[in-house]
Amino acid sequence: MRILIVDDESLARSYLVEQLANEADVEITGQAANGFDAVKMAEELPCDLMLLDVQMPKLSGFEVMELLGARAPAVIFVTAHDEFAVQAFQIHAVDYLLKPVEPARLQQALQRARERLRDPVTSRAALSTQVALAARPPGQWLERLVIREGTRVHVLGSHTVDFIEAQDDYLVIAAAGRRYRKQQTLGQLEAQLDPKRFVRIHRSFVLNVERIARIEPYAKDSWQIFLSDGSHLPMSRSGYQRLKAVLD
Amino acid sequence: MHPILSHRGRLLGYLLLWVTFGALLAAVIAVTGEASLRWAELFAMPLAVLMGLECLPCWYLVRGMAPEEVPLWRLIGTWLGSGCVLLSLWLGAATLWARVLKFAALTPNVDPGMLVPLLVFAGSGGVLMAILGLYAAAALDRSRDSERRALELRALAREAEMSFLRRQLDPHFLFNSLNSVAALISSDAVAARRMCLLMADFFRKSLKFGAQQSIALAEELKLIETFLAIEKVRFGERLQHSLDVTEEALNMTVPALLLQPLVENAVHHGIAHLIEGGEIRIGAKVRGNLLDVTVENSCDPERPPSRGTGLGLANVRGRVESMYGTRARMDVETETNRFRVLLALPASPAEAPPCAS
Repeated sequence: MRILIVDDESLARSYLVEQLANEADVEITGQAANGFDAVKMAEELPCDLMLLDVQMPKLSGFEVMELLGARAPAVIFVTAHDEFAVQAFQIHAVDYLLKPVEPARLQQALQRARERLRDPVTSRAALSTQVALAARPPGQWLERLVIREGTRVHVLGSHTVDFIEAQDDYLVIAAAGRRYRKQQTLGQLEAQLDPKRFVRIHRSFVLNVERIARIEPYAKDSWQIFLSDGSHLPMSRSGYQRLKAVLD
Repeated sequence: MHPILSHRGRLLGYLLLWVTFGALLAAVIAVTGEASLRWAELFAMPLAVLMGLECLPCWYLVRGMAPEEVPLWRLIGTWLGSGCVLLSLWLGAATLWARVLKFAALTPNVDPGMLVPLLVFAGSGGVLMAILGLYAAAALDRSRDSERRALELRALAREAEMSFLRRQLDPHFLFNSLNSVAALISSDAVAARRMCLLMADFFRKSLKFGAQQSIALAEELKLIETFLAIEKVRFGERLQHSLDVTEEALNMTVPALLLQPLVENAVHHGIAHLIEGGEIRIGAKVRGNLLDVTVENSCDPERPPSRGTGLGLANVRGRVESMYGTRARMDVETETNRFRVLLALPASPAEAPPCAS
């Protein structure tokens, strides 16, 4: 079983390395000290299992999973926080271990991972959409979006997003004067964003209401919204009603 | 609240005592042979009850004049005066009552004048007894009261300590530190032991300070150094810190555990989000009659606005406001990659200089 260890604390990593030394079938493919390295390593050196911390600088463990998408290996979360457990099992984590990690508990989790890997049906199928859906802390709206561009990873604060447009099977996200592509459906992303700030104004547009400069009627039952940077987006009748409900 | 009037049972008991007093007085009158026992009873009983009622308002004087709080001359003067008033009223009532009895021709041949010395004597005794009794009741009342208040205070202090524990001791801090200890035990036993001792030191000091209102800045800084030493075991090179505190500032008092949460914020919301880590700078100096304290940390320029730090800062602000009102201020400055909290507290020197250990 090839394992990648991801934790921003070197002591936490060396503790896991030490515990894994007792497992005959385990090979450690690498250790990553942050989410960016984790994404890179998981892609360059194929592994079966990730031992993944949740709270790390820049990218959380959940964001790492989202970025890896369908290529994500099986995952065991290792964290001092117990509040992410539900979220972890929503994305079919093999297990959820609390720090300090009990050796017996780790062995049990590894055993579960072996069983999971032997049975490919329950492993990765249809995971990626689930991952995207669950990648936000419980009870909160998404604060940042993670976007891959080739080997680069962009982390956008959701407050910097102007609008999101649905293209064929991907999204175009306009933020801070740039456009980013993201593999996701508009409905999924919309559900994760703060509905007081982001409104579906059209079948293929979600708009950050803070960017609205003015609204002009365009035809019967359709409007044009001009943004503060001068560009404009179409708004449908149902979009108009949704926007009205938010602004009132 | 009047201790006797407010309870029907106590009032009955009290009046019963006075009825006994009346019976005694009647017996004495009868024995001296001035009147028949029947007349004496008819005469003395209502007067005794009257005296009982007359003495009831003395409670308010008793309560206002605790013997340990009022000079002796004033105590004696007041009571002599009120005693005389009570007694004269009572004697007047007695004379009137004797006349009524005589007018009703219930008993002939009694000269009330003959009874005056006896009545003065008995009346003074009665008033004296009533005052002493009320003083005893007041003392009992007060001891019960102070006992209850002491209990309440102890409960409050305990509650404050507990809520401090809940607020202060972030469980993740504890679990992450324990994880570090677990990791160190096999690789570096000496460092593991040092970590245990640091944690013990931190928790003990936090508990001790949690029960205090204010401490010397030097003490608070020692706690912060311990906290940072623990976090440095976790974060390693990523966490750096520097202190710039004047000798004069060290001796000033600060509200206990006011600055530690600021430093904790700086670590968990600043440094922890930086891949390369960063520095925490703590500064303090005296400026006129103010103590200026700054806690500054590097932070991620791409961080979403005000993430999570709000609550900790609001707690600190709330404490500063409730302790000093407008005499202190707290400002928060954010730049792209720096976060700074500035406190200006009234400067007051600690009573004893902190021990230099």
